[in-house]
Amino acid sequence: MKPRRKKNKQAQNKTAAIIFILAFVFCSIFIVAKTGMQVPAAGKTMMFFLSPFQKSFSWLGGGFSDFKDSVEEMENLQEETTQLRAEVEKLRAENLNASEALSENQRLRALLGYKQNATQFDLIAASIVGRDSVTWSSVVTINRGTLDGVADNMAVVTELGLVGHVIEAGLNTSKVQLILDPRSSVGTLIQRPESRVAGIVEGDINNPNAPKMVNIPKDADVQVEDMIVTSGFGGVYPKGIVVGKIKEIHNDEGGLLKHGIVATTVNFEKLEDVAVIVESREPPPEPLPPVIQSAGSEIDAEEVAKQLEHAKIIQQEVRDRVKQAQILQLEQVRQSGGGTAN
Amino acid sequence: MKWNIIFAWAILIILMYAAQTSLLPYIGYNGVSVNLMLLLTVSTAFVHGYRHGVLMGLITGILQDFTTGSYFGCSIFSYMLIGGFFGKFSDRIFKEQLLFPVLSAPLAATMYFFIVTSLLFLIGYKIDFLQMIQTILQPLILYQVAFSWLVHKLVYDFDKFSKRHG
Repeated sequence: MKPRRKKNKQAQNKTAAIIFILAFVFCSIFIVAKTGMQVPAAGKTMMFFLSPFQKSFSWLGGGFSDFKDSVEEMENLQEETTQLRAEVEKLRAENLNASEALSENQRLRALLGYKQNATQFDLIAASIVGRDSVTWSSVVTINRGTLDGVADNMAVVTELGLVGHVIEAGLNTSKVQLILDPRSSVGTLIQRPESRVAGIVEGDINNPNAPKMVNIPKDADVQVEDMIVTSGFGGVYPKGIVVGKIKEIHNDEGGLLKHGIVATTVNFEKLEDVAVIVESREPPPEPLPPVIQSAGSEIDAEEVAKQLEHAKIIQQEVRDRVKQAQILQLEQVRQSGGGTAN
Repeated sequence: MKWNIIFAWAILIILMYAAQTSLLPYIGYNGVSVNLMLLLTVSTAFVHGYRHGVLMGLITGILQDFTTGSYFGCSIFSYMLIGGFFGKFSDRIFKEQLLFPVLSAPLAATMYFFIVTSLLFLIGYKIDFLQMIQTILQPLILYQVAFSWLVHKLVYDFDKFSKRHG
């Protein structure tokens, strides 16, 4: 009789322990969500032990991905050949424009004494080695940590635009919260010079692939296809990094504000390699618009777009300076004319 | 239970978790891929019973919540509940029967989905359940069903291995 009673008591104790743990976890969910509390030591330790396995599997996955891509490429080869022929003609014309823009660029650059300023950021290249299996949140693990110079709150980018920021830097891996995450909010601006409307881009839990630009006044000048760049407010993201473009605009329920659905320039589903901005020395120049790429034109089209954009910026500078000089000259002429009359 | 068996289980969990987070997202759809931790919890609950199901839910939940940077506690809470729920059926099914775990995969995925979305709703997020069912639950169910047989077979064989050597 006694052993059975003892067994029953043990079972009761175990059930009580389970209920206690469940209640504790349930309360923790709300406390952590409201306070943003973290247990970095435990997370970092686990990440440290997991990272070799994740790196190995990621390497395997990369190989698998390459194989899958090759098969897909073969399937699309015929179609691409036709496209490429058309692209070649187009690129020849673009190359001519590019050469023209390049020489113009060099001339104007020499004229203005501009310094080439391509290194505003110190970047560390990183690969994604882990990601969550479902999209309640959008956090990925990269293969760089504090040993490589990565720290919390550093911005993460690709050549196409903003990816997110480091939320927890471990020794050899770090967690990066993507801009798709519902907890992420990025201070942004509309890039169009006539607009420059500020808003916040935050992840949408209901549509994990398209974040929203919120807090836009209803009468603000925001249009579909407007490019969005980081504003630099908040101190995490440097100014001028491309986030995406406005895909749709909807009015908010309250009636005073509206929000835009953002099509990100970065394809998060195919995200494999990123760069962490470990040092940002000065605000970068106005970002380039994303280039619509097609097979065979990836490198050239981007180069052409960059050169054209540089040339445009410099041309605008020259025009402004010429205008200023003309105004100054006119004023001088007026003053000297007035002096003679007096 | 001998230490070598505990160590073997730990390696199995870590390998499955590494595969879930690093390898299987390559075959994901819209950011959703198979959740091996959920399948592991359900299969362990079927094979070992209620308490082991809850314990496996606790371990896989801790692993997931601490390493992915997701909403802390959501995985622990949901996996423990699901592990406990399916563990209650442990003595009513044949453990070598593989059909029942496969059939239970959509139910486990649905439970997981509704527990987590309800928690997120309680935290304060505006949840569009219909949209999330389309974007998350439907592909998740398909992936879970596709992998459930494999994971259950693995857990069942591992259990036999443990009994032989434990």
